[in-house]
Amino acid sequence: MTDKAQPKAAKRVAPKEKFNFFQDRRVRSAFYQLLTAGVVGWFVWYLASNTAHNLSVRGMNTGFGFWNVSAGFDTDFKLINYTPGIGTYGRIFVIGILNTLLVSFFAIILSTMLGFFIGVMRLSSNWLVAKVALAYVEIFRNVPLLIQIIFWYMGVFSVLPVVKKSLDLSFGTGWMTLNNRGLYISTPLPGELFWLTPAALGLALVGAVLFRRHARKVQNATGRQIKTLPASLAAIILLPLAVFLATGAPLAWDMPMLTGFNFVGGTSLPPAFLALLISLSIYHAAHIAEAVRAGILSVSEGQSEAALSIGLTPRRVMSMVVIPQAMPAIVPPLISNWMNVVKNSSLAIAIGYADIVSLFMQTALNQAGYAIEMVGMTMGFYMLVSLTISFFLNIYNKRVQLVER
Amino acid sequence: MAIINANKTPDRPAPISETSVIGWLHKHLFSSVLNTFLTFVMLYIIYLTVSGVFTWGVLDATFVADNRRQCYDNSLTGACWAGVFQWFNNIFYGRYPRDEIWRINFGGLLLVLWMAPLWMSRVKGKVLVATTAVVFYPFLAGYLFSGGDKGWFTQIMVAGAITAFAFNMANMLTGLFRSQSLTKFLIEVLGQQNASDKTQRNILLLLTAIIFGAAFFWQMGQSLQPIVWTKWGGLFLTLVISGVGIASALPGGIILALGRRSELVIVRVLSIGFIEVFRSVPLITVLFMATTMFPLFMPEGFVLNKLVQVIIAVVLFNACYMAETVRAGLQAIPKGQYEGAHTIGLGYWGTMRLVIMPQALKYMIPNIVGSFIGLLKDTTLVSIIGLFDILGMLRSISKDTPWLGLHKEPLIFGAILFFIMCASMSKYSRHLEVKLSAGRTH
Repeated sequence: MTDKAQPKAAKRVAPKEKFNFFQDRRVRSAFYQLLTAGVVGWFVWYLASNTAHNLSVRGMNTGFGFWNVSAGFDTDFKLINYTPGIGTYGRIFVIGILNTLLVSFFAIILSTMLGFFIGVMRLSSNWLVAKVALAYVEIFRNVPLLIQIIFWYMGVFSVLPVVKKSLDLSFGTGWMTLNNRGLYISTPLPGELFWLTPAALGLALVGAVLFRRHARKVQNATGRQIKTLPASLAAIILLPLAVFLATGAPLAWDMPMLTGFNFVGGTSLPPAFLALLISLSIYHAAHIAEAVRAGILSVSEGQSEAALSIGLTPRRVMSMVVIPQAMPAIVPPLISNWMNVVKNSSLAIAIGYADIVSLFMQTALNQAGYAIEMVGMTMGFYMLVSLTISFFLNIYNKRVQLVER
Repeated sequence: MAIINANKTPDRPAPISETSVIGWLHKHLFSSVLNTFLTFVMLYIIYLTVSGVFTWGVLDATFVADNRRQCYDNSLTGACWAGVFQWFNNIFYGRYPRDEIWRINFGGLLLVLWMAPLWMSRVKGKVLVATTAVVFYPFLAGYLFSGGDKGWFTQIMVAGAITAFAFNMANMLTGLFRSQSLTKFLIEVLGQQNASDKTQRNILLLLTAIIFGAAFFWQMGQSLQPIVWTKWGGLFLTLVISGVGIASALPGGIILALGRRSELVIVRVLSIGFIEVFRSVPLITVLFMATTMFPLFMPEGFVLNKLVQVIIAVVLFNACYMAETVRAGLQAIPKGQYEGAHTIGLGYWGTMRLVIMPQALKYMIPNIVGSFIGLLKDTTLVSIIGLFDILGMLRSISKDTPWLGLHKEPLIFGAILFFIMCASMSKYSRHLEVKLSAGRTH
């Protein structure tokens, strides 16, 4: 023990700290915080008192009483039943939310697929393919989304042929037609025993998953590989088909029929919806492509070289080595892009698609005039969406990190 | 038997696959069957796009016409650029009186000249140049653009701007020709190199005061015709909104980012709340909030004009995005820098101002340029709430009687304009990124 050998250090007495009120850290911190809180509080109070005064002077109504008041205007696109004069503002709010979510949902799916495709194209070993993808990204990223939306609406979907000369997109079957009033798709009408077909499909899927699990177990135990793809595909396609035919093909189609001046039946999507959907998908695909490219490039080259050197095929290198490592880098920007899709769908107001901003924050606000409540509710909806998405993103990030370390 | 050959063996030429055009083609376009197929598919797509656009936009297009009917008479399938050309002034300047357009151009030229020294490596005192540009230029430009009577504050600021501009230009010239700052040059010319610092400073102050006085008296005699903000429009308005937006969003963003990283709980919570609220809602809702709710916030009888409302909304919105950019820059600074600054006795503000910010700002420049591009693109949203910015002007072409229904061509023209502006800026920011990261060691 060397401790004993050393002389005991003289016990140092900490210098008695003199409490200086103006130089003390805690006092200062408390002071600055109180000061900030005071200034912000005063500012909020000032705005609130002004607002209250202005509202009373102008005789404007406040409160959420409008929720149950019936609204007098109609909207051309709605997913739930609503009759002008009977439906309430609450219903209008719900219609707006559903419309926003509908267009965002499809735009997210389309832009993600297109974005992955373009992102992979950008990394192609083919020079021309890479340059075409680069041109796509640069052109659509650098032009304001609003211009693109208006262009698609005014320049493409408004100058389509009239109803009588509709374009048939389904090779003459009339299953899907496009004209200047929108896209008309026939809707399936399931018959009595139709539920058996999806049930069969589900059964086949479960079977395929179990088979795959079994194959992997066998491979882990014995090293023998079992080909799962042909058998699973056959089951997934043939079983539902057989059931469908055995039950007597119980599915009818509600075709859009040209009656008088317009189509009746089927489902119709207005031009504004299509323009918004396509421009959002194209614009965000360009951003997602960059995220995908950056993510794949973030996996160091040594990884794929090593994988190639142990004899994996290029496709397996991609699916088993590169993509799993790139995903943690791709997913956060991908999801923030999805969030931007939801936010940017609010530009629908420029072309009159009835989303929450144009329907509720503009039309309803102009009619009923509860400015603060309606703006607050609209913003609240967007905040809720973004909080939900970032909540799931955080969960994902945590999981990915746990896998890593 | 000589083993050593006195002559150097000639270098073998690089293999043909590495040097020739054919080698390059083989490697990059036709390396496999699939690649060859893809190359032809791409060539076909490019051919379709380019030939279609070229025929529509150039070959069949009408460039001179008085109305849309004449365009149709010329060609039914081509573009009608004549409408865009006739509206050229409107697209760029809005409904600004035609005789006063020189004021906008002059204001733009002043800004370019003012900022030019920042790109010249020989010129000294860049921080001062940038600071004066932010402090004085907006007032000078604001007066140039809007005109009318000057209050005493505007007068002082305009005179200050003229003084600053004169010094800036003189400084640029001395920097360019003599690699010397203006102050040194002046002292030398006056033969006071050996005088004490105090004398030198007094001389310079006196000189500044004289020039300021002269500028003040000169501008008192000048007066510009007032032009209401409702006449502002076109690309000019877009640039004003985004310019003010970015210039004010940066300081706002720095404050919010510092607040977010602060140790003071209340400050941090307030900053986080503010940033997250504005970042989670779309800009258009903030603009609507500005136009519907700001009038209610103001004391009775106090009316903000729409332009100011919009600018406030844009600044608030972008300050929050800028705050995240700044935060990312601050996080890139290693902890040792903070600790080092503390050990030499710097307080919080000293650390930030002298050690952290200068380094962090350097890393942030590419991202700041990126936010500016985003802001420039987002500014088109003000056309939705009824300002006639460039998009508003482009859309009103189709409502003008001679050009009724002309939608595509103006929008494509606007798209090209934005593409040129945004793509060149992003190219520049990438160049900056490479240039700035060259000096990074960690």
